Amino acid sequence: MVKKVFFALLLVSTLNASIFETNCASCHKSFPVEIDKFLYRYILKYSSEESVKIALIEYLKNPTKGKSVMPEPFILRFGIKKRSTLSNIELKRAIDDYWLMYKINGTLY
Amino acid sequence: MSHSEKQTLKNFVSLYALLSFSILLLISILYFDFERDFMLRKKQVLLEEYAKELIQNLKYVHINLDKTRKYPRSKNYKSAIFDSSKKLIFSTLENKKVNLEDKLYKTENIIHFIKQPSSYYLGSYYVVVEIVDDELWLNMVYKKLFIYAGSLFFIFLIIGYFLSRLFLRPMRDAIEMLEHFIQDTTHELNTPISTINMNIEMLDSKILDEKSKIKIDRIKIASQTLSHLYDDLSFLLLNHKVISNDEELNLKKLIEQRLNYFEQIANVKKVSLNFICNTEQSIIIDKKKITKLLDNLISNAIKYNKISGNVTVILDEKSISIKDSGQGIKKRNLKAVFDRFERFNYAQGGFGIGLHIVNVIAKEYRLNIDIESKENIGTKVSIRW
Repeated sequence: MVKKVFFALLLVSTLNASIFETNCASCHKSFPVEIDKFLYRYILKYSSEESVKIALIEYLKNPTKGKSVMPEPFILRFGIKKRSTLSNIELKRAIDDYWLMYKINGTLY
Repeated sequence: MSHSEKQTLKNFVSLYALLSFSILLLISILYFDFERDFMLRKKQVLLEEYAKELIQNLKYVHINLDKTRKYPRSKNYKSAIFDSSKKLIFSTLENKKVNLEDKLYKTENIIHFIKQPSSYYLGSYYVVVEIVDDELWLNMVYKKLFIYAGSLFFIFLIIGYFLSRLFLRPMRDAIEMLEHFIQDTTHELNTPISTINMNIEMLDSKILDEKSKIKIDRIKIASQTLSHLYDDLSFLLLNHKVISNDEELNLKKLIEQRLNYFEQIANVKKVSLNFICNTEQSIIIDKKKITKLLDNLISNAIKYNKISGNVTVILDEKSISIKDSGQGIKKRNLKAVFDRFERFNYAQGGFGIGLHIVNVIAKEYRLNIDIESKENIGTKVSIRW
């Protein structure tokens, strides 16, 4: 029984991690700008965790030039990304992972 | 200074001191606030510089996050950064309690300056810069407050002194006028009273019929009362100029003599005079003065007594007590009974000087006066030595 629960949890966590890895990080790897730099730009503009996550969801669900935090030359060169096909829950999980991976708060010394 | 003058002065001084203190306190608080604000404004220039420097350093770390995550520090100040939800990101502050609503404030000896940068480097929506206040300005402010408030208080005191004089002048003028009037009246009373007394004594009672005898007795009583009043007023006016002639006196004899003197006056009110002598005590005192003291107490006991009442004089080893069955004195009036011109019963005549004279004589011979009084039951005045 304990083993079953453990494997179930492992499976769930692997699945969660993979949402960000498979749907976000994998594409950004081919990008000249690393994925963490996007979060730093969001932090620079929105400051708190809540505000950053709300802005990210808004952008990923309906990406526009106006909602982008990237500079004009970047947009001109790479354009605006396509609308995310992930569900709200998946998107939230992916953003949570993204935040945990690259957040500033708690990593300064 | 009379009781009423003292009371007026006390009230005025209390009110004046309270007012002066309130004004000085208000000025001091305003001055203190002004000086503190002035100090903070002066420090703000420096704090703005520190904040600018910190933001520049935050920017550097933000740009180089993949190389370093070391929070920028300075030996000149301490700092902290908060995100837009007021959550602490990092702090080197000594005083951790931060009020993000206030831009510049001082808690104990710590000054906090809050700045909101235009870009939120490292997520810093609020940048807090902290410096320690050396509080040199505070010592200066206290020194100035002490000097200025002290000087002002001194000036207020001088003004208060002149104001109180101005306040009391009408009262003092009225008292002086009354004293002059009494002085003049006393002077004018002397000759007619002496003439009446002398002529009554010269009358031969044997040749008078009963009706005339009664009339003469009435004149005698009235003359006695006038003579007593004249004596009191003379004593009051000449008290400080009369040299005491102390001698050993047998109090029993003297009391009997005085009770005898007041017998006729007491008879008019049907007041019975009693004497309880428990000793053959003698004391060394001026005869005129002790007579005056006893006369005033016995006279009051008769004057403020009820019809068919009684007066009892008790002579003990260490005291004389005069007890009456009169209307008594209200508790709140007891303190002022010895004040000159103080009267609580206007139904009876008098100037309110009797007990004042008693007090003056008692003070001179260091005698203690106790008054016990119950309204509508009576009063007991005891002179102890």
